[in-house]
Amino acid sequence: MTTSTSSTPPKRRRRWRTEYALTAFLFLLPTFIFLAIFVVWPIAASIQLSFTEWNGISPTQKPVGGANWVRLMSDGVFWRAFRNNLVIVVLSILIQLPIGMALAVLLDRGGRKFNLFKTVYFFPLLMSTVAVGILFKYIYDPQFGMLTSGLRALGLGFLVQDWLGDTDVVLFSVIAVICWQFIPFYMIIFYAALTGIPAELREAAFIDGATESNYFWRIVLPLLRGTISTAAVLSLIGSLKYFDLIWVMTEGGPTNASELMATYMYKKAFQSYEMGYGSTVATALFVIVMVIALSVLFVTRRFSEENE
Amino acid sequence: MKTRKTSTFVSMMALLAALTMILSACVPAGVAPQPAASDGAAAPAATDGEKVITMWHIQTTEPGPQLIQQAVDRFMADNPGVKVEVEALQNDPFKTKIKVAMGAGNPPCIFPSWGGGPLYEYVKSGQVTDLTPYMDADNYKDRFVPASLSNVTFDDKIWGVPVENSAVAVLFYNKPLFEQYGLNAPATWDDLMVAIETFKANDIAPFALANKTKWTGSMYFMYLVDRLGGPEVFKKAGTRTGGTFEDPVFIEAGKRLQELVNAGAFSEGFNGLDYDTGQSRQLMYAGKAAMELMGSWNISTAKGENPEFYEKNLDFVAFPALPDGKGDPNNVVGTVGDNFYSISPTCAYPEEAFKLLQYIIDDESVKLRGEAGKIPPVKGFTTDDPMLQKVIGMIEAAPSVQLWYDQYLPPELGEVHKDTSQALFGLSMTPEEAAKAQEDAAKKFYGEQ
Amino acid sequence: MNQRATPRMAMIWFLAIVWVLIAGTPFVFMMMTGFKAQFELLTNPVWALPQQPTFENFLTVVSGKFFIFLFNSVLVVAVSVMLIVIISAMASYVFARIRFRFSNVLFALIVAGLVIPIHVTLIPVYLLTISIGLYDQIWALVGPYVAFNIPISIFILTEFMRQIPGELEDAARIDGCGPMRVFFQIFLPLSRPGLAAIAIFSAVALWNEFVFAFVLTSSTNNRTLPLAIWEYQGEYSANIPLIMSVLTLSALPLIVAYLFGQEGFVKGMMAGALKG
Repeated sequence: MTTSTSSTPPKRRRRWRTEYALTAFLFLLPTFIFLAIFVVWPIAASIQLSFTEWNGISPTQKPVGGANWVRLMSDGVFWRAFRNNLVIVVLSILIQLPIGMALAVLLDRGGRKFNLFKTVYFFPLLMSTVAVGILFKYIYDPQFGMLTSGLRALGLGFLVQDWLGDTDVVLFSVIAVICWQFIPFYMIIFYAALTGIPAELREAAFIDGATESNYFWRIVLPLLRGTISTAAVLSLIGSLKYFDLIWVMTEGGPTNASELMATYMYKKAFQSYEMGYGSTVATALFVIVMVIALSVLFVTRRFSEENE
Repeated sequence: MKTRKTSTFVSMMALLAALTMILSACVPAGVAPQPAASDGAAAPAATDGEKVITMWHIQTTEPGPQLIQQAVDRFMADNPGVKVEVEALQNDPFKTKIKVAMGAGNPPCIFPSWGGGPLYEYVKSGQVTDLTPYMDADNYKDRFVPASLSNVTFDDKIWGVPVENSAVAVLFYNKPLFEQYGLNAPATWDDLMVAIETFKANDIAPFALANKTKWTGSMYFMYLVDRLGGPEVFKKAGTRTGGTFEDPVFIEAGKRLQELVNAGAFSEGFNGLDYDTGQSRQLMYAGKAAMELMGSWNISTAKGENPEFYEKNLDFVAFPALPDGKGDPNNVVGTVGDNFYSISPTCAYPEEAFKLLQYIIDDESVKLRGEAGKIPPVKGFTTDDPMLQKVIGMIEAAPSVQLWYDQYLPPELGEVHKDTSQALFGLSMTPEEAAKAQEDAAKKFYGEQ
Repeated sequence: MNQRATPRMAMIWFLAIVWVLIAGTPFVFMMMTGFKAQFELLTNPVWALPQQPTFENFLTVVSGKFFIFLFNSVLVVAVSVMLIVIISAMASYVFARIRFRFSNVLFALIVAGLVIPIHVTLIPVYLLTISIGLYDQIWALVGPYVAFNIPISIFILTEFMRQIPGELEDAARIDGCGPMRVFFQIFLPLSRPGLAAIAIFSAVALWNEFVFAFVLTSSTNNRTLPLAIWEYQGEYSANIPLIMSVLTLSALPLIVAYLFGQEGFVKGMMAGALKG
C-alpha cells in the first residue's frame, strides 16, 4: 500500500503526510489506551511480582531476586504443562483445521439446502464452556456415559477407556472436546473464504478436465493459503494459552496429567496463595507464547511486507 | 511508490501515542496493595451519619440466606443508624474473589472462612481482627463447643466466630443392598472387607468415589492415618513439632489405600468423576455402589435430591477401627462450626460488626438453624432428627475432631496434600514418594532446608 | 450442482447429517435435561428423555432475577461490541493502509494483547476499577471486554482491509479526500461484512464471559447472565437440571441473534476476510 501516488504534486503530498500522520495517531490512540491499561500494565505488574514472594493478600511483598525463576526452570509440573500445551497445539491444528475445512467444503457444495446445517454446526461455539464441560463429564462417565455404552453396544468394548481418570488418556479426551467446540470457528472462516472464490474459476477448471479432487487440491487450497495460515496462527495462540475446558473438566488432573501452563498459573496464584510464583508462571507463559507467535508470524506473511 | 519520509513521521507519531499511553498508565499505579482503601466497599462513605457494615457469606441454597437475613433484620431493627449490606457469593468463586479483594486492600467488613490454614494465612497477612477481647467479654466464648474454637485459634488468640454447621465424615451405606447380600453394617474392618469382596463379586462398586474433586478421596487417607496412628501423628507433622510427613504411619496409610484400590474397592474411573455434578451420588442412588465416605451434609443432600433413597436406603456408621491401629476409633474427621465469620481490620465499625455476629448465632438463630437440619456449634444443642442426633452424639463422644487436612494446612501444603492423595489413588505415586513430596513441600514452606 | 455426481451428493448428505448429530446432540441434551427434575437426572439414565417433562426449572429461572441478568448482559455486550468494532476498524485501517516504520513493533503489541492470559490481569484491573469508582457497576466490564477483544478483531480486520482494492482509494484521493474521509466514506462501508464478522465473534465470546463479570461486580442486580448459574450451585451440591435450564435460556438470545446475523456474517467473510 502507498500513502500517496507518484503523480501528485509535492505540496499536496506533504499535506497528506501530515494528515496521514495525524490520522494514524488518532486512530491508533484508543487501541493503545486500552492495551496500555489492560495488557501492558498487568504484564509489567506480573514481571515485577515474579521477582517477589507474595501470598496475594499480605500488604508486603518480599523481594527474592531470581529465586522464582530458578524454581521454574526445574519445576517438572510446569514443563509437563508446557509439553501438554504443545500436544494441544499440534492436535488442534491437525484436527480442527482439516475437519473445519471438510465441513466448509460440505456446506459450500450443499449450497442453500444446507442452511439449517450451517446453523446447527455453529451450536458448539455458542454453548457456554460450563455447559459443555458438564455435558462431556456425563458423556465420559464410565458407568452411565454415552460413549462407553455406545462403544459397548457397537461391540467395540475393547476401545473403552477410563476417559477422564486415566493419566495417559485424559489429555486426549479433553482435546477431543476442545476440538468439538472450536471446529465451527474454523469452519465458518473457511466457508467464507470458499464462497469468495469466483464460480468462473471452478467452471474453467472443469472445462479443462479437472476432477473434483484435483480442483480442490490444485486450485482451492493454494488460494486459501493465507486464510489457512491465519487460522493456524489463531489456533496456535489459542492452544498455548488455553484454560477454560480443562479447568471445568479436570482442573489439570488427575495428578497434573492434563495440566496446562494457564491452569498451573491459576492454581499457584489463587489456590496455593503463591502469587509471586504464579506471576512467574504467567510471565513465562506470556514470553513463550509471544516468542512462538512472533516467530511464526515472521515466517508467514504478516511481517514480510513484499509478497502481496 | 513508497514515501519513506512519510512513514518516518507517521511512525514517530504512532510510537509517541503508544508510549504516552503506556507511561501514563504505568506511573501512578503500583501493584502493591494499598492498605485500607478509603473508597472501597469496606468502608463506604457513611451518608447521613449512617454506619455501614458489609458482609459476605456463602450460604447460597435456601434456607441459608434467610437464616442470615432474619438475624440481620433483627439487628438493624435494634440498632438504628447501622446499615448492613449482605452479599451471598458462591463457594468456588468466593475463594478467588476474597483473595482479589484482600490483595487490593478492599475486603468486606465481615467475611466467612473454613478456619484452619487459609484463615491463618489471612491472619499472618494482617487481614483479620483479633476477636479475643470480644469473645472473652462476659465469657461469650463459653457458648461454643471447644472443638469449634480450635479451628480459629492461632497464637492463642481467637480470630473467628463459629456459626453455621458441624460436619464429620461418616461411612454411608445402602441398607437394603447390605441386607440383600446378607451383610452386616460395615462397623468393623472385617465386616468391611467381607462387604467389599461380596459387592465386587456381584458387580457392584463397594465405594462410590468422585475423586476429580480430590478432597473426596482425601477423607479415606485421613481416616486411615487417624485409625492407624491417632491424630498426634498428623498434628506433629503439620505443626512441625517433632513430626514428619514421612512418618511410617503416613506411608502405611498410603499402602492400605492402594491395597483398597488394587482390590477394586472404588467405583470405575473414580479419578475422573466429579462430586459437584453428582457423579458419585448417581452411583449410590442407582444401587451401583454400596458405600460412600462423605461429610454428614450428605444427609440433607440426599433428602433434597432423592427423598425415597433417604427414607429407605440411607444409613451410616463411623469409619471402622483398623485391627492393628493405635488410634481411638471414636475419633472423627471433620469440622465443627464452619463457616466461621471474621472481621477485617479495614472495617470501620468492628464493635457493631461483632454485635451483628452475635445476632447471627443467638438462640433464635440457633433454633432456626436446627430446624433447617444444621448442627450449630453451640453447647447443648439437640435435635429431633435421629440421623443428625447420631452425628451430634459422634462429635460429643469424639476425643479428637481432626479438621480436614486441606483446610488445616497452609493452602500451599493443602494443595500438595490433595494432589498427592489423588496420585496415591491413581497409583501414579508410591506411598513413599507421596510422603516425601508432602514432607519436601513442608520443609520448603517452613524454610527448613 | 453437478448432475452427474449423484452418489457423491448422497455421500455429502450422509456426512452432513452425521455432523448434525455430532454438533447438535449435546445441545439437545442440555435442553432436555432442563426439563427434568433433579431427582430424575440422578436416578434414571442421564440420556433418557424426561419422563414427566417439567417446566418448573424454567419457571424458577424466569421468576428469579433472570431478566435483570439478561438486561445487564445485553447492555454490556452491546456497548462493548460497538466499541470493539469502531476501535478495531480504525486501528486496522492504519495497519492495513498506512505504511510507517514501527508498524511491526506496534503490531507486536497487538499480538501481546492476543496472548496475555487474562487471569494475570485480575488484580491490577480490580485495583483500577475500584480507584476509578466503577466497582460493582456493569460499566466496569466494558474496559476489559473491549481491551481483550480488540487484538483478535484487529488481527482479522487488518487482513480484511488489505483485500479492498486500492483503486477506489486512489480515485478518492485524487478528488481531494483526506485519509479520514477515505476511511469513513470508503473503508467503513466496504468492510461492513468484516465488521459484522468481528461483531459476532466478540458477542459470542463476551456473552459467556465469566471471570471479569465475577470479580468486578458484586451485588445481584449488577450481575450478568454467566453468573446466573452460580445461583443454583450450593456448597456441596449443584442442581444440574436447573443449571441446564439457565444455560439453555442464556443461549437462546445468542442463537436468535446468530440466525439473523449469519447472512451478513458469512458475507463478511466471503468478501475476502482472512484471505492471504
